Amino acid sequence: MSDSLAASATLSRDMVRTTTYALVVVAALGASVPLWTGSMPFLLILASQAVIAAIVALSLDLLMGSTGLLSFGHAAWYGFGAYLTGLAAKLLTPEMLIVLPLTLVATIVLATIIGFVLVRQIGKTFAILTLALGQIMFALVFVMSGVTGGEDGLQGIPVPKAFGIPVVRPDVWYWILYGVLLAAILASFHIRRSPLGKAWLAIRENTERARFIGLDTGSLKLLSYVVSATLAALAGGLFALFNGAASSDLLNWFESGKVLMYVVLGGVGTIIGPVIGAAVFTITEHYVSSITNSWLIYFGGFFVLIVIVAPGGLFGALSSLWSRFGASRRGAAS
Amino acid sequence: MILETSNITKHFGGLKAVSGVNLKIAPGAIHSIIGPNGAGKTTLFNLITGAIPPAAGHVVFDGNDVTGWSPERLAKVGLARTFQRTSIFKNLSVVENVALAIRSREGVSRSIWQSTASEQAIVSEAMDVLGKVGLRGRDKDKAGALAHGYQRALDIAIGLALKPKLILMDEPLAGMSRGDRETIAALITELRASLGVTIVVVEHDVAMVMRLSDRITVMQHGEVIADAPPAEIRDNEAVRKAYLHGSFAA
Repeated sequence: MSDSLAASATLSRDMVRTTTYALVVVAALGASVPLWTGSMPFLLILASQAVIAAIVALSLDLLMGSTGLLSFGHAAWYGFGAYLTGLAAKLLTPEMLIVLPLTLVATIVLATIIGFVLVRQIGKTFAILTLALGQIMFALVFVMSGVTGGEDGLQGIPVPKAFGIPVVRPDVWYWILYGVLLAAILASFHIRRSPLGKAWLAIRENTERARFIGLDTGSLKLLSYVVSATLAALAGGLFALFNGAASSDLLNWFESGKVLMYVVLGGVGTIIGPVIGAAVFTITEHYVSSITNSWLIYFGGFFVLIVIVAPGGLFGALSSLWSRFGASRRGAAS
Repeated sequence: MILETSNITKHFGGLKAVSGVNLKIAPGAIHSIIGPNGAGKTTLFNLITGAIPPAAGHVVFDGNDVTGWSPERLAKVGLARTFQRTSIFKNLSVVENVALAIRSREGVSRSIWQSTASEQAIVSEAMDVLGKVGLRGRDKDKAGALAHGYQRALDIAIGLALKPKLILMDEPLAGMSRGDRETIAALITELRASLGVTIVVVEHDVAMVMRLSDRITVMQHGEVIADAPPAEIRDNEAVRKAYLHGSFAA
């Protein structure tokens, strides 16, 4: 990771304050969405998709922003969660309080096995192997088309239930997704401030030194990978239940690239930044792609601009503006 | 002896980086390892601290055969080191650099719950360690923003926070001004006196080494050519030949 990205991942005192404000604003704005989209149900569905994207972005940030491991194949876990949850709902029970924990347990087991091999690689090798993992998962959808539905995708996922009550209303879905996102954000902040989160930061900053102060960097990186994969799988599982279907696109390298863009666009390691990045990307993607088929070109250009002009991402830029605003106010007051 | 290597050997291809080195470090000593560039001093450090595995030989630390142990395992039993190029956590605060080592030593680095009292105790201990190396007033600064001499001191503080029985310092005076060199040299002496920690130093500043050390090992071409107190090393003909540039005039 470059110095600029590394720097952006450090939560300074100013950034902590800005993060707190941003969190309250995001939480309040997000909570009010169903109140003003009543006459436009499509907007509520788009907002729900943005929330799911934000959970995936947060999962990658837990890996990239904490331990500095760059994953080019994070959609593997997102798609894995979607397919596994969808299949469990179809074959076992539509009760989401059963199928989602099942998915999480399966992901923990599989991510531990795969991560055990991956985290022993460093830098580009790790990144390339994660890309390969994503493509293997993608190919498995077609190899196992009898189970996964192949090109047609996994169809016919039943309406999910929570405590035996069918979850159908878009606003209820939104609240569920939003609640999961808020819980994930709070958990991420808690972990970041904990000894574990600080040990992860030490690995990101200087892995060699971390080893020489007695940190078992291999198992700590594995833990980061498993936590990250599990959160991504949860997002995938929620998406499959919300959408009623899962397709191979969820596992494509392009999806992994999008998740990476959410994180870099928002600000690596800032926790709240990737959430903003995912929401901005998802909503903008919808509107711009409805205007032009060349939306990817515009997004690519915008992405390059952000990386050059604001290496700390949107959150870093907003934080910087906020700090300057605060400084000028203090200057005026004195 | 707190540390002994017997016949420790490492080859890189056809190059004998370290060849059959027998080293004995007495507890509480300041023991320096000197030699021309490429003598194998840093490789010997890397072999002792588990950064690279030896091709042959053994390392015994505090009565245990620790050959092939990982750096993290060695850190847990009291073997710390500093690096030729200062190795700190540059984007973290000075106090957090030291606190990380304390949490690791206490075995709480994996915890996701920590009481305020426990964290305060760790920060308080970190401040004490920073006080020992003259960094108490810089605790909130970003480590990477410190001047080179202070970064060196922080590197040592991170090692000390592990409460090591032995600390290996790889060229602690490298790249420093004359004033900073004196400060770090005084710090090394003070640490041995106040903490009783055994210190092994690799250093090119021969004059400083002569002043600081209880014993000196001289290496050349991966082998030990002399091992004796400073006065004997000064008069050793083989050592004089190894240092053709006259460093020993000091």
